[in-house]
Amino acid sequence: MRFLNKTMFAVGVVLTAISLHGCKKLVEVSAPVNSLNSANVYTNDATAIAVLTYMYANMSAINSGSSIPTSLFLFGGLSADELTLYDINNAKYRPYYINALANTVLTTDFWRSTYPLVFQANAAIEGLSASSSLTPAVKQQLLGEAYFLRAFYYFDLVNLYGDVPLALTTDYRVNNSLSRTPSTRVWQQIVTDLHMAQSLLSNNFLDGTLLKTTTERVRPNKWAATALLARSYLYTNNWVGADSAATALISNSAMFNLGTFTGSTRIFAKNSPETIWALQGVGSNPPTSSSTVNTGEGLTFVLPSSGPNTSGTYPVYLSNTVLGAFEVGDLRKINWINSVTVNGSTYNYPYKYQAGLTSSGSTEYSIQLRLAEQYLIRAEAEAHENKTTNSVSDLNTIRTRAGLSGYAGGTDLSSLQIAILHERQVELFTEGAHRWFDLKRTNSIDAVMGAGGACAAKGGTWNSNWQYYPIASSELLANPNLIQNSGY
Amino acid sequence: MLPNRKKESTTLNPSNEQMYNFYLNKRVPLPPGSGVRKLLLIMKLTTLILITVILHVSATSIAQKVTLKEKNMALTDVFDLIKSQTGYDFALTTDALKNATPVTINVKNEDLKDVLTEILQGRNLDFSLDNKIVVIRPKEESFLDKVKAVFVNTDIHGRVVGDDGQPLAGATVMVKDDYKTATMTDPNGYFILTNVPPNKTIIVSFIGYEKSELTAKGEIGTIKLKVTDSKLDEVQVIAYGRTSERLSVGDINAVSSKTIESQPVGNVLQALEGQMPGLFIKQATGLPGSQMSVQVMGQNSIGQGNSPLIVVDGIPYASNPFNAVNPVLSGGGLGGGASPLSFLNPSDIESVTLLKDADATSIYGSRAANGALLITTKKGKAGETHVTFNIQQGWGNDTRRVNLLNTAQYLQVRKQAFANDGLTVPSIITSPNDVNYDINGLWDQSRNTNWQQVLLGSTADYKDFNSTISGGTDNTQFLVGATYHREGTVFPSDFSDQKAALHFSLQNKSENKKFSLALAGNYVYDQNQLPSTDLTQTAILLAPNAPDLYNSDGGLNWAPNAAGNSSWTNPLAFTANTSLFKTNNFLTTLTLGYHLLSNLEIKTDASYNFLQSMETFLSPSSAQAPENRTTSSRYSNFQNNNLTTWNIQPQIVYGLKVNNGILQGIAGIQAMQTTNFGQNIQASGFSSDQLIGDIGSGTTLSASTTATTVYKYSGIFGRLNYSWRDKYILNLTARRDGSSRFGVANQFHNFWSTGGAWIFSEERAMKQNFPWLSFGKFAMSYGITGNDQIADYRFLSTFVSSSNATPYQGITGLRPTSLPNPYLQWEETQKFNARLDFGFFKDRILLSADYFKYRSSNELLSYALSTVTGFTSILENFPATVQNTGWELTLNTVNFKNKNFKWTSSFNVTVPRNKLVAFPNLAGTTYSATLVIGQPVNITKVYPFAGVDPATGVYRFINAAGAVTATPNFNTDRTKLENPNPQYYGGFQNTFSWKEWQVGFLIQFTKTYQVNNYWATMGFYPGEFDSGISPYGNQPISVQNNVWQHPGDSRSLQRYSTQNLQYNSAQLSSLAFTDGSYARLKNVNISYQLSDSWSKTIGLKNCRVYLNGQNLLTITKFSGLDPETAGSFTLPPLCVITVGLQANL
Repeated sequence: MRFLNKTMFAVGVVLTAISLHGCKKLVEVSAPVNSLNSANVYTNDATAIAVLTYMYANMSAINSGSSIPTSLFLFGGLSADELTLYDINNAKYRPYYINALANTVLTTDFWRSTYPLVFQANAAIEGLSASSSLTPAVKQQLLGEAYFLRAFYYFDLVNLYGDVPLALTTDYRVNNSLSRTPSTRVWQQIVTDLHMAQSLLSNNFLDGTLLKTTTERVRPNKWAATALLARSYLYTNNWVGADSAATALISNSAMFNLGTFTGSTRIFAKNSPETIWALQGVGSNPPTSSSTVNTGEGLTFVLPSSGPNTSGTYPVYLSNTVLGAFEVGDLRKINWINSVTVNGSTYNYPYKYQAGLTSSGSTEYSIQLRLAEQYLIRAEAEAHENKTTNSVSDLNTIRTRAGLSGYAGGTDLSSLQIAILHERQVELFTEGAHRWFDLKRTNSIDAVMGAGGACAAKGGTWNSNWQYYPIASSELLANPNLIQNSGY
Repeated sequence: MLPNRKKESTTLNPSNEQMYNFYLNKRVPLPPGSGVRKLLLIMKLTTLILITVILHVSATSIAQKVTLKEKNMALTDVFDLIKSQTGYDFALTTDALKNATPVTINVKNEDLKDVLTEILQGRNLDFSLDNKIVVIRPKEESFLDKVKAVFVNTDIHGRVVGDDGQPLAGATVMVKDDYKTATMTDPNGYFILTNVPPNKTIIVSFIGYEKSELTAKGEIGTIKLKVTDSKLDEVQVIAYGRTSERLSVGDINAVSSKTIESQPVGNVLQALEGQMPGLFIKQATGLPGSQMSVQVMGQNSIGQGNSPLIVVDGIPYASNPFNAVNPVLSGGGLGGGASPLSFLNPSDIESVTLLKDADATSIYGSRAANGALLITTKKGKAGETHVTFNIQQGWGNDTRRVNLLNTAQYLQVRKQAFANDGLTVPSIITSPNDVNYDINGLWDQSRNTNWQQVLLGSTADYKDFNSTISGGTDNTQFLVGATYHREGTVFPSDFSDQKAALHFSLQNKSENKKFSLALAGNYVYDQNQLPSTDLTQTAILLAPNAPDLYNSDGGLNWAPNAAGNSSWTNPLAFTANTSLFKTNNFLTTLTLGYHLLSNLEIKTDASYNFLQSMETFLSPSSAQAPENRTTSSRYSNFQNNNLTTWNIQPQIVYGLKVNNGILQGIAGIQAMQTTNFGQNIQASGFSSDQLIGDIGSGTTLSASTTATTVYKYSGIFGRLNYSWRDKYILNLTARRDGSSRFGVANQFHNFWSTGGAWIFSEERAMKQNFPWLSFGKFAMSYGITGNDQIADYRFLSTFVSSSNATPYQGITGLRPTSLPNPYLQWEETQKFNARLDFGFFKDRILLSADYFKYRSSNELLSYALSTVTGFTSILENFPATVQNTGWELTLNTVNFKNKNFKWTSSFNVTVPRNKLVAFPNLAGTTYSATLVIGQPVNITKVYPFAGVDPATGVYRFINAAGAVTATPNFNTDRTKLENPNPQYYGGFQNTFSWKEWQVGFLIQFTKTYQVNNYWATMGFYPGEFDSGISPYGNQPISVQNNVWQHPGDSRSLQRYSTQNLQYNSAQLSSLAFTDGSYARLKNVNISYQLSDSWSKTIGLKNCRVYLNGQNLLTITKFSGLDPETAGSFTLPPLCVITVGLQANL
């Protein structure tokens, strides 16, 4: 008996030891103090803000940071009918220009530059959600920004590639084996994220502390989420949703108003009343010079007196298609297009942004969302909702500002659709990939690009498959579940 | 005889003088009488008469009924109570009361007889009732019993101690050839072997001691076991326990303090070279404190650490180089830092055990894939206090030199190079800017300096003073040792590594030996002052007519040209860049143990290690040429590192006889934490060289953190060892491990091993048929171990600042640099070993052969990802498999042995083979540039060398298409694979003792075909003169005979030229590899024991004088300095000869 008791005691000691061991604390380490990482970066307001701020800076740098921007306003414009490539042999731009991309390594690959940002948004959502030590208002705003940005990135991805893998986690094993998610599901996620963003983001424009308001319109707020939501509803034919989201913005006249072509409320001046969200320039050009970059658009489009060149710094000028789309007397043609004449050749160029470089502080920000687009979104939604009068009225708001007479065409849906698409072409030209995406979502791409159309004019051969960009072969190699877009 | 008379008859005890005491009313002992029985009879009668009358009534009423409820009452008090209840008196002997244990009884109204029976049960006492007297007496054997006893089993009592008188706990006591009748000793060394058949032999055995055989008898007394001198039975320290070669299942080798002490080294690893099979050690340089590369059974990991786990007194010790600014200790290529084991004093080490196979290592779980080195420090022994001192003085020199061109030959080569290139030899007079100083007339062309003699020719001082005081009692022992150690260099200035070490050990056991305590501590202060440049390269390559070191005024000579610019960097200026590396290392272990049961002990090891360094690295402007000395040219670096480790491991040790065997078990948990913290401050802008040691005098400081990590580790482990009849041994080991280096998803994992041994020489058939086979064992083991040698925090995603020209909203962004990998886990190694051991002719010849097959998978490598994950690659466990297979052979022989002369030999050889077995989609990864399936993981791809073109005199190679070309393509034409791994390696030790003399020597050998060829890797081709920092250009004298001279020549070296020609391609060809095999007389030790009378006259005891030599002779075809440090121009291990005296006061 005595022996048994002691044996039981020993067994007890062992069991206690085992239960002690089970305590994970023994192998849990806190993060190293000399580096920030996913475990500690979201524990402090300043570092958490810095993580999200990097994402804006990165997007802005893609637009403007290096000497050759790699943003969609250039490549989208080239793929569509907005820009003319000066040096037809330029290896970087030619495949986009003549709609002849290949699945081999692309010098500019939106897939491979956007998914890392998607990862960062996912990491921020995970990290911020788990954090308990941030100022509540800061945490809420940052989380809203992360959801907003994820939606913003997927918006580009789904429009550029069609079905895309929907990565919503930071787990590389999950993400590296994703197959392509049907685009309807991606759109659902975009809408869900934007609703989240709307509920979390501040009503006001915030400064770098996220606690004070500012006149700087460079951080997305609730209105940016609403604007992107309106655009997303439009793209997915949710007319009621698009109408109501756009209405919310248009009625917020305390914050947003249509700007003017000149003067202090100039539309493309920084923090103009029309700006819903813009990216502040972060680069210098060349990187060592003291002058900073306003916007990538200005840097790329505004031609010097020597005109476009073959070295790639001024690769494009405005296409005749855009030039010819304006009605007579359109103030936009007068104010937003400029030209240089070199050796007898005149090169028109977009002049929305007027200075690529500045030596005395930024004067222009790259506008991602602006009020005029909301009027056009609402006009289109209303047309589909059969609210013809309202639709024409919104359309005319934009036309009137451009110095044009009111719309006098047919008020049937298809006439209105054509009129609105045309209005979008001349209002939003070379802003982002509006034109490229509009052609695709309105199913007019084959008509515009196809036989006898823009593609042939650029020197290419159109195929409906080319409306989606290819996925780089290295991506398919790393993840066999990914399937290439048709035709590549 | 009647049964009821039996007890009566036992009172007869003629053999013993018994003393009876009568207890009456007062328990007054009566004087002893000789006629006991007579006296007893009188007493009985008297009592009868008196008491029957007086107490008649009461006697009838209460007689013989007893009620008792007592707890732990003295026997005599119980008798008093019974007396008061029954009226019976007690008669008993004092002997009977001796050692009487207290009584606990609870009876109610029971018969006196029954009560007495109960009380006396198990007491070896008997009683009889005689008329109101209870007579208590020792049980006696009847004649019949005695007769029976001859045939009846008995219990045997005894105690087992070592030859120092210390009790041996856990020793096995058993009846010969009867494994059922066996037991183990308790913490006091006591044992009771029950039910032993008469006239049997019992065997007492304990690891590390000679077996003892005795005839069984009841009281066997104290059995003293002698420490064994058989190699098979020597104690070997293993993970959480001890074993011997005879009983071990695993692949274990051990080296004792004797071997270590006979080698004049500053790092114990140096003393292990060639000593143990499976252990391959390479010293990076011959400088004291040098890094050591240690590999056990080959390279398991493609991309991560391959060092074995080092455990000092139970605490895991640093195995990676300890951070240093000074790069010189790494011998180039290994990164800065010193070997952590150079901060442990070799003379404080009692033994080093190497654990290799799964059976021996899997209890260390995720850290033992690369084997384990267990280092045990010295402990005190009971006995009178000994004061031992050991004084050693020695001298070190460089071992080999390269036979170089002298000035005349050198200039001839240079001139020929110009001629071959169609150039004229330039002249400093006509072209003052020409930099060919050796030949253009700036330097004296008649000067000839043997730079190897000048720069490496000094004698390195070696000193080692050690004193140890030890002693103690049975319960407490102590040892205190103090050491001073100094090793110099062969460089011209005075550099040295000095160590002061203090070691102590204290052991205590409680009086009942149940509680034990052991405290050990090691403290080392090391101060290593070295230049930041190894002068060996300069010594070999410097042009032989380079200028004198000193000017006539005694200052350093910079030999300026006409423009005033120095024409060389004086080699002594290199030594102005110095590093003073001060290290404090404190390591202590406390072990507490308590025996809950004689065979169950709980104990806890608690250890702490504090390894701290302070380095002052000075780069004064005096190291620069005079024209370059500006304020900005001088700087200093101050670097501190702290490495703190604590480790706690509570354990339960249990032993039990099960069936016919002994089952031993251990279970424990471990918790460990290592923090590493380092800072570096670089200071510059000093106004003078004299101030650069003062950080405050620097005008510009730049600080950085060199390390700040926390590593936590915990595990639960257990081992069961079952030995059946000392013939069949089964080992089961398991461990569950968690490491903070791994991701949350895979933080814990299980490791295990199983091993078995069959000692077939114990089989009767073997004993009868092969009497010359004294020992034979077959052992096998299989199991899984891991490797967690990756950097800390690799599972986390780290963020870095990302700044823009115009920060976004004024904020500097933070950008993630890598993916978090929660799945990150250890590399896994499956180990299989099969082993055969033989002992012939009473173990005079011991032979063992071990086959091993290790497969490492789950390799941690960078893995390509789709950017959907956010990044293009990740450090991930990859299903690549590396295999290490091979043979180990060990032969120990006693070649000759008589009273005066003994000659023993020990030979070991390892034949390893490393192979990349699998690497999924190798061709699609960047690893295809370096790895080839089926080949070792560390192969080098080179161009097949095709000799020198007889027509043009330049090197040629064979391209992938098989054609000869002078211009091979790097990407496609490196088709030849060079394997740098040794084909076999080992050591051969011989020890002779003749009367007072003892002589030993060790030959270490390595067979390898491919080490860096001195010809191709010296970096300079014949005819070249490099006027850069150092005026390099000298060549081995053998170039003269091997160089291409005229069209049609078939030679091995391309023509002399001032141009590279195809030398760079040759460096990437098979010419860059050469036979690096060598055999080295690693150690010779000769000692003479002074006779006692001699010793006493000088007031000493056990006086021994000795001579030790290290690296005395190297036999090799290698053309460079030394094959061990081949290819790189680092100082090879020195030849050190010491004389010493060891004595007791």
